Amino acid sequence: MAATLIPPDFDSSSSTDSSSSNRGITRSLRVAEIARRKTKAEDPIVAALKYFSKVQAGTPVQGNEELERNLVSVETVAYSKGLSPEAISVMLEFAMSLRMGTSPCARVLKFLLPSTVVPHQAVVRAVVWLCVGKLPITTQVLFIKWVLTVFDMIDAKDNLRAIYGFIFSFVTEENLCPYICHLLYLLTRKECVRLFRVRKLLELQSKLGKQPFLLHLLSLYKVFCPELVTLSLNSRIRAGFKNHHGPWKLALNAIQKRNFVQVSSDLPLALQTKEKAGLRKRKLGQMDLPVLNVVVQSQKQTSYNKMVVPLAHIQSFVQLLENLHLIELPAQMGSLLGSGLALHYLDCVQDESAFLRLNFWLGHALNEEFLFCGHGGASQGSDEVVRFLERLLSTQHFLQEGFSSVEAFLYKFLNVWDGSLLRPQILGLLSNIPVVPSSCINRLLSEPLMQLFFTSTVFFKCGLIESLNGMLAKWLTWHSVYALEDGLDVSLDSPTSMHMSRSGFMQSVVELVRFVGRLASLGLQLEGCHSLLLSFVLDFYDTVCDIFQKYGLPLVVMIPAGVFYPALFAFDPVSVDRLAQIMYRYKMNLTSAKKQEKLTGQAFHISRQTYREFNHYLVFMVNCLWNSKIFQPGDDIELSEELLLRSRVPQYWASFNLIHHPAFHCYAIDFHHKCWPERRDVDLNSIQNSKTWGWYLEYLFTQGFDGLQQFIQSSISFHPSTTDSQDHRP
Amino acid sequence: MDRHTSVARTPVSSVVVQRRSKSHRLSYRSNVGTMSHLGYTPGFSKRRLTTSRLAPKHSRITEVNPEQLALLVREWQLSYVTPLYRFRHGQLKSYSRQLAAFMVSEQQQGVAAEVGLESALKVSFTLVAGMAQTEEEANTVFIQIHSKPPFSAPDDPQKLLWSGWLTSVGGNPDYLRSLPEDFVCLPLFCSGGTEGLTALVKAWFQQTFDCCFGPLEINSVNLQWLAALWTDCHARSSIKQLKLVWSLPAEPPLEVTYTVHPQDAWELWRSIRQPGERGGEEEEDGSVGLEEVACFIKGLKSHFYRHFRVELSAGRLTQVSTALGSAKHGGRLKISNSSYMITTLTLLTECALLKMPI
Repeated sequence: MAATLIPPDFDSSSSTDSSSSNRGITRSLRVAEIARRKTKAEDPIVAALKYFSKVQAGTPVQGNEELERNLVSVETVAYSKGLSPEAISVMLEFAMSLRMGTSPCARVLKFLLPSTVVPHQAVVRAVVWLCVGKLPITTQVLFIKWVLTVFDMIDAKDNLRAIYGFIFSFVTEENLCPYICHLLYLLTRKECVRLFRVRKLLELQSKLGKQPFLLHLLSLYKVFCPELVTLSLNSRIRAGFKNHHGPWKLALNAIQKRNFVQVSSDLPLALQTKEKAGLRKRKLGQMDLPVLNVVVQSQKQTSYNKMVVPLAHIQSFVQLLENLHLIELPAQMGSLLGSGLALHYLDCVQDESAFLRLNFWLGHALNEEFLFCGHGGASQGSDEVVRFLERLLSTQHFLQEGFSSVEAFLYKFLNVWDGSLLRPQILGLLSNIPVVPSSCINRLLSEPLMQLFFTSTVFFKCGLIESLNGMLAKWLTWHSVYALEDGLDVSLDSPTSMHMSRSGFMQSVVELVRFVGRLASLGLQLEGCHSLLLSFVLDFYDTVCDIFQKYGLPLVVMIPAGVFYPALFAFDPVSVDRLAQIMYRYKMNLTSAKKQEKLTGQAFHISRQTYREFNHYLVFMVNCLWNSKIFQPGDDIELSEELLLRSRVPQYWASFNLIHHPAFHCYAIDFHHKCWPERRDVDLNSIQNSKTWGWYLEYLFTQGFDGLQQFIQSSISFHPSTTDSQDHRP
Repeated sequence: MDRHTSVARTPVSSVVVQRRSKSHRLSYRSNVGTMSHLGYTPGFSKRRLTTSRLAPKHSRITEVNPEQLALLVREWQLSYVTPLYRFRHGQLKSYSRQLAAFMVSEQQQGVAAEVGLESALKVSFTLVAGMAQTEEEANTVFIQIHSKPPFSAPDDPQKLLWSGWLTSVGGNPDYLRSLPEDFVCLPLFCSGGTEGLTALVKAWFQQTFDCCFGPLEINSVNLQWLAALWTDCHARSSIKQLKLVWSLPAEPPLEVTYTVHPQDAWELWRSIRQPGERGGEEEEDGSVGLEEVACFIKGLKSHFYRHFRVELSAGRLTQVSTALGSAKHGGRLKISNSSYMITTLTLLTECALLKMPI
């Protein structure tokens, strides 16, 4: 073997070259070096390897200078660059065959540092030498340690698995046992687990007592064949095998760093998070995730189930993809929540029972933690609960789907919730509730939420509006995706279908939007038009106004007066700007709906009333901001003439136009200063004339009021000559 | 709108093919239907307390089988269990082996054990016949754990360490039907033995059948039901006495034990039951209404108030016991007479089903 030896480092003799230059070597250089190598055939390492492969058994060691020279030359190469696969083969063969006795053997093993990979044939041959049984025990241990250290660098492990039985036979050697167990642990596959091996290990266990290495191997056996062996480990032992890397690890790291060889170390992707171990166990452990375990099969089924890959064995996403059709769900579905890989699988799983199992577990955990705990929930708001809910939320987020058991739990919990316990998490779960039939929204959501809303702080109100906004957005997204895929609206024709019909869905949406409209109107009143709350409310209407264009649902629900007017008369320009933006989007939606109606001749469910409401708002808004005609008879806001006169506000009809509106007042003053810096007395009315009015608008638009800009440009045909408004009737 | 109309024309079959997992929830809802416990959406159909149930009848099974007798001997701690996934009544033998091995390995943490090997524990799963009331209902399973002393002769009597059973008696058939085939619903779990062993058995069930356990307490309404139902049996089988225990929120807490002479209780109950028609005994299919029960308890309470000036309504009924059985608020139950076992268990099965998360 190893007839043609290629030394790993042809330029070791030329000391001028630093090793790191290997990387950036050019093609011409390489060609030149190959030529040089041919000429310089008698490289010391080549000679040394030739010597070790040819040396006769029984050659004396004592005083053998040739041996010493060759050993040193290989050793220097090994420590500087590592040995090539061929060199490893030769040296391992030399050492394990004990051709020159035991004394050089340990020395050779210690410098067996691979530069790239370890050929599996070499290892197999070495194991054969091990079986011959002439090696002293310390050398045997050293060899196994070496195999463990370089295990990740062995190029193919299947041949090693083929001699699993031979390796297994060494477990009876008391000194070797810990290392053999570790090696077996790395090699074991399901087919390796046999009853006689289990019995052997158990026998050893009874002889040696609780040894961690035995337990680890046995626990792996249990993972593969739970029907053969049973074992429970407490968390302390779970740490893993001891790192007994011997003398190689540091040198190997150095070599790898020097060679820039990224040896692919099979980093085990932790399938389950083991955060539980350090925590003190709670009395009520419902919030603990179960451990990912394999289903225990009864003996009969095993032959059939050999094809199946338990999810617990999957270590990487690639493996998941390769075995997607063979995967077996774990014994406890709850364990899936703890694993990112498992969630990927859950996402594409079709099994109804699987979801039902998960729902039973989840619902049970939530019920026991929040509803059935008679003692008032001693653990309320503890870290563990928070972590559980966060994980639940991220799972739902990942699956883009709420669990039905969580939904059922929330309907019950909302009735007893104080609105502050775990608020962010509960509100998060709330926003994941899937579409609720309109007939049930009132009983299940509106009633409990209304009570909470009106009795809580403004921050809860904001949170709730935000959560409901999320809910609406999810419903609409869900519809826009599944209306196509699942034939959501097919059932319009077939009333027998239990699927929610499109009209049913629309009713639900309308119900939800109206409910939030009521909450928002009253909430703004209660909180004195709190601008934070107003901002969240306007967020909600950002979603609402775009239902038709963004989500393809032929539905337009107008903003209620209780939100429109507070936003229009808000003190901060941002709210007014956002309202203008919303009105602009409403207009876009309504006009495109109208257009489509004409195009397809299909009757829409957008009623005249909606158009009328919109136009009403539009006229008011334009009159108020643009035409300086407020408090007209017939408006929603009507004040008697004499009352207005008594207020002694000059030109009260103009007090909410873009100049005098409290939100824009300061902009008007600023503009005035910029226009007429020399003027002492500020006369805002001078902006009113059509030319400056145009400039003023330009100025406002440069201040970032995009919504206002879109609104004005779309709804008002502005000619500098006549400041007349024209509202489109879509 | 074009895309929607085009979808409408898509043949149904292709829609099915396209269906993604996400729609699972929908299909699940629709499969389940609106009338079941699982509801259109869980929580939509309110599970209400039963307002009327059948008056207890003498059990039709005249000879009680020995397995049923085993259910009578001791006081049980009640729990509810969510449906068991892939529980097979045909594999009880294998379960016995697995549970035994599990117990052994759990008890000696960190020592592996071979499954099916002779061990110090002997576990037996047995079927109890004649408990299920409908075809949908699964058979009751009785579990016993015996210890085998290490140096005992094979015929030495084994010591019973733990026993327990999973049952469903008269569970809501709609709920049972709504579960997929893989699930076996035995919602009521009664255990007798040390807490540690109970916990181990529960853990094994949880890991093997992916189910969850929770404590099942019997609330005052159900205790009142039991008091009334047991009293109703007095004519056929003496209840010896009707003992009720109330706990009153006084400082220090006051416990009132109220023992009623069986004949008095019976008289009171009979006066409440169908005062119009004092027909024959045969009218056994008559149902007992919740109002009647409330009326019965109210009668007892007002009697107590008249004598002791203590308003029992302020407190909570925590315990009911008669010669037929006893039940405590904390979920402890003892059945002393097999004839009326079914009635009691039906009520408790219902309580357990009410605890189901979906």
